[in-house]
Amino acid sequence: MLDDLLARFGKRDRLALARLLTLVARGEHLDAIRLALAAADSAASRPAPPVVALTGNAGVGKSTLVGKLAEYLRGQGQSVAVLACDPQSPLTGGALLGDRVRMPSRPDDLGLYIRSLAAVSGNQAVAEHVELMIRLLAGFGFDVILLETVGAGQGDTAVRELADVVVLLVQPETGDELQWEKAGLLEVADVVVVHKADLAGAERMESQVRELLTLPGCREITVLRVSSTKQQGLAELWAAILACPRHDARVGDARALLRRAQQVLAERFADRVQRVGPVVDRWKRHELDEAQAADELLQLLIR
Amino acid sequence: MATAVDRKLWSQWQREIEAAPPGEQPATTVSGVPIDPLYTPDNLDGFEYDSSLGYPGQYPYTRGVHATMYRGRLWTMRQFAGFGTAQQTNERFKFLVAKGQTGLSTAFDLPTLMGLDSDDPRSLGEVGRLGVAVDTIDDMRQLFAGIDIGKISVSMTINAPAAVIMAFYLANAQDQGVDWRKLRGTIQNDTLKEFHAQNEIYFPPEPSVRLAIDVIEFCTRHVPQWNPVSISGYHIREAGSTAAQELAFTLADGLHYVDQCLARGLQVDEFAPRLSFFFNAHNDLFEEVAKYRAARAVWADRLRNHYGARNENSWKLRFHAQTAGCSLQDKQPEVNLIRVAYQALAAVLGGCQSLHTNSMDETLALPSEHAVTLALRTQQVLAHETGVTNTVDPLGGSYFVETLTRQMAQEARGYFDRIEALGGMLPAIERGFFRREIADAAFAFQREFDAKHKIIVGVNAYQEAERKPLDILTIDHAVETEQVAQTRRVRKERSGEEQRRTLDAVRRAAEAQENLLPTLLDAARARATVGEVMVALAEVYGRCDAAVV
Amino acid sequence: MVKCVENQIPLRIVLAKVGLDGHDRGVKVVSRALRDAGFHVIYPGLWQSPEAVVRTVADEDADWLGISLLSGTHMTLVPRIVEMLRAAGLDHVGVLVGGIIPETDVPKLLELGVARVFGPGTPMAEIIDFLRAHGSRTHA
Ligand SMILES: Nc1nc2c(ncn2[C@@H]2O[C@H](COP(=O)(O)OP(=O)(O)OP(=O)(O)O)[C@@H](O)[C@H]2O)c(=O)[nH]1
Ligand SMILES: [Mg+2]
Repeated sequence: MLDDLLARFGKRDRLALARLLTLVARGEHLDAIRLALAAADSAASRPAPPVVALTGNAGVGKSTLVGKLAEYLRGQGQSVAVLACDPQSPLTGGALLGDRVRMPSRPDDLGLYIRSLAAVSGNQAVAEHVELMIRLLAGFGFDVILLETVGAGQGDTAVRELADVVVLLVQPETGDELQWEKAGLLEVADVVVVHKADLAGAERMESQVRELLTLPGCREITVLRVSSTKQQGLAELWAAILACPRHDARVGDARALLRRAQQVLAERFADRVQRVGPVVDRWKRHELDEAQAADELLQLLIR
Repeated sequence: MATAVDRKLWSQWQREIEAAPPGEQPATTVSGVPIDPLYTPDNLDGFEYDSSLGYPGQYPYTRGVHATMYRGRLWTMRQFAGFGTAQQTNERFKFLVAKGQTGLSTAFDLPTLMGLDSDDPRSLGEVGRLGVAVDTIDDMRQLFAGIDIGKISVSMTINAPAAVIMAFYLANAQDQGVDWRKLRGTIQNDTLKEFHAQNEIYFPPEPSVRLAIDVIEFCTRHVPQWNPVSISGYHIREAGSTAAQELAFTLADGLHYVDQCLARGLQVDEFAPRLSFFFNAHNDLFEEVAKYRAARAVWADRLRNHYGARNENSWKLRFHAQTAGCSLQDKQPEVNLIRVAYQALAAVLGGCQSLHTNSMDETLALPSEHAVTLALRTQQVLAHETGVTNTVDPLGGSYFVETLTRQMAQEARGYFDRIEALGGMLPAIERGFFRREIADAAFAFQREFDAKHKIIVGVNAYQEAERKPLDILTIDHAVETEQVAQTRRVRKERSGEEQRRTLDAVRRAAEAQENLLPTLLDAARARATVGEVMVALAEVYGRCDAAVV
Repeated sequence: MVKCVENQIPLRIVLAKVGLDGHDRGVKVVSRALRDAGFHVIYPGLWQSPEAVVRTVADEDADWLGISLLSGTHMTLVPRIVEMLRAAGLDHVGVLVGGIIPETDVPKLLELGVARVFGPGTPMAEIIDFLRAHGSRTHA
């Protein structure tokens, strides 16, 4: 079943991609999927697509801007995958995933893929295992991956490790919310977008942000005014995103290293990995007891 | 009002009521407002007849906008009609006129309401289904062919493309040789509530309001007997709001229109007398009556004291009411007749100027002729048999109703403050305030219903196993084909050059933020379609096709 | 067929408003009720074309599709959607229809493969129980 899925995925079957994303979201078959991707990666040697995260308070226009960026990029002929996170109730596990509403897509346009994800609120800015989903989408061949977080606050540092570029959205007239933004700005953002620039107060907001960024110890951060409604500033935003050094220096290298290690492991162990399954099967059929099975698995590893 | 309360008698009653077992359902209104077992003068602190209530036909009009109310003249019984092609609706109109109806009320189909032409792929299956399809001035001409629109009052329920449809109507009136100053009627033209509730949305909020104001401004100057807007709470309530939200959001919309008209340089007394309202008539009799009474008082106060209107007609809130479509059930549909009758009673006790009673089968389809007749008869029985018309504001002075009226006014003012705190109408829309409030209320009601705290007869109580389907009216699919062919024919016949030239002018006027009616009239005469005009405007205004959960 | 226990693997359901009518009271109430019952509800907004609905169901790997319709166009739009789901290899997705559906049309919709039609006045528990009882055919 999984093999079949992976095979179909390799043939760029979109339904297989969708199903694999579900499995990953549910935390199933993670290792096997990781291995399969690593093997495929080493074969393809395609440069990894840029991963851009958009974060910011609820209602600041993340989904809308993701939608506009996607449209802009499609206009440039790039294919785009979107992972859009909305909060999940920690009590019931339920979630209302409404980001798509703001991301119009043409149903016949296969160059755009949108997936809604639930993230346990208060915990994380994105759904679990997003890093693997990103790799799936990259493996499928999308040129750009856009990630919408549930909103700014906790967990943003994790986003920084997932994405090459983090765009923080703020909007005019949010005087009292500037507090966390101060902290958030310094920590995570590569680009700050003063969104809804069509509204009054955008310029004032921009100068406030710039002022904050003159504080000692701040990194170089681009500040831009963008209006999704008026379609203004999208090209500039994308240029600014591309101009950001990917987090290569730190995270990027680490990610590359990790990926390489996974490739090596996949190559080295490819034959043995195939032998893990049969051992487990025999254990399932009661041909082996737990200790024997564990022993055999260990043998595989240290041989 | 009597104020003396004998404390001893009161506590005796209080003891008795405390000893009594509580009822099965909590005593709350349909909006969830808790109701006391008894109202007394205690509830009406500081209530003085002259200053707090006054007389009908006098400020603040709590008791009604006319001195004599229904003793002088009954409310207008106005039933909404429209289906299929313009020709079919025209035939229905003529039939109604022949039967002595003095006002016509036009329902448009969904594509027209959404600003789409009949041959747009998105219109598939919807053309002529819930109303009449109007794509070009040719359809408008057909719709009113042989009807003297200089004599009869015409109401048109349309919002996002209201300015375009108004231009069609005015251009057609000219063709028919009818002086605009003679035209009487109403166009709904209330784009704000579409953002709160009904979702017939085309442009973003700001240009949507600008278009609505264009119509108000133009009519104020050139079509003086026309009601250029019907500020509507009906759809807000249908979307699940409470009565107080319906009241508050509707009045807030009205106040926003007033502000925008003033910003155009109109004088308040020029346009305010022509602002009209449209409310829902829901199940909770006393709550509804309180809502209408509070509406008049709050509006009069604002217009007089905040805007400084001097013309008494500017202070008067006149309203049309329609019974609550959302209260109709598809189980045991005949029971709807009874619901509608009580709802109509509420509207009349609340002093409506005109009333539409829903037909019992309206949840299922377009009303059949039998059902429409019964709906009209409901109003006639109310008017002629029940005696409720004999005296003005019969519930006035009731401790309960006066208390509810006060609470309702207070709640509305509380909402005005909250909207203000969000930065005003448009920022509040932009933040999803209205939608959230309404959705919360709808969800709260659903939970009450699921828990059987609120009973709906035949649905979560007194169900019947057997259901006999009603005979319902269905629309022939041929209507769509015919209408599409008609529109394509117009496209072929007309001068493409004229059409392009006039649409360019519309675009330029929109860019220059001029009143669009003059250029829309030219586009109408050049036989541009509703869809073409809307697309041209969207190039300037942008489109708004997102909605929030 | 996997029966989903509350709080375990959440079922994914796309709730779609198709056609031009903007009456979203029902779909919003159902969305919230399902969320509170532990489902993952994907709401793509108003005015969805059949093509868009099918694309959403496919890309979101939904277990269920709920179609909400109040304008009376169900006999035009639902058959198209069901047909398109089939053509897209999504037969495993369960289809529900909610809204004002005349009695006489209900059997026709069931015939097409719609799993259940929910009319106005349906208690939320009925929808929730139905979905829980049927679980997922996607993740069998
Ligand atoms: N004026 C203006 N409003 C905008 C703009 N972009 C988005 N909005 C509005 O902002 C509101 C919120 O937009 P969303 O895109 O849903 O915001 P979000 O950040 O994704 O919200 P969550 O997912 O709930 O955190 C909506 O009402 C949008 O119409 C813009 O450029 N200008
Ligand atoms: Mg969002």
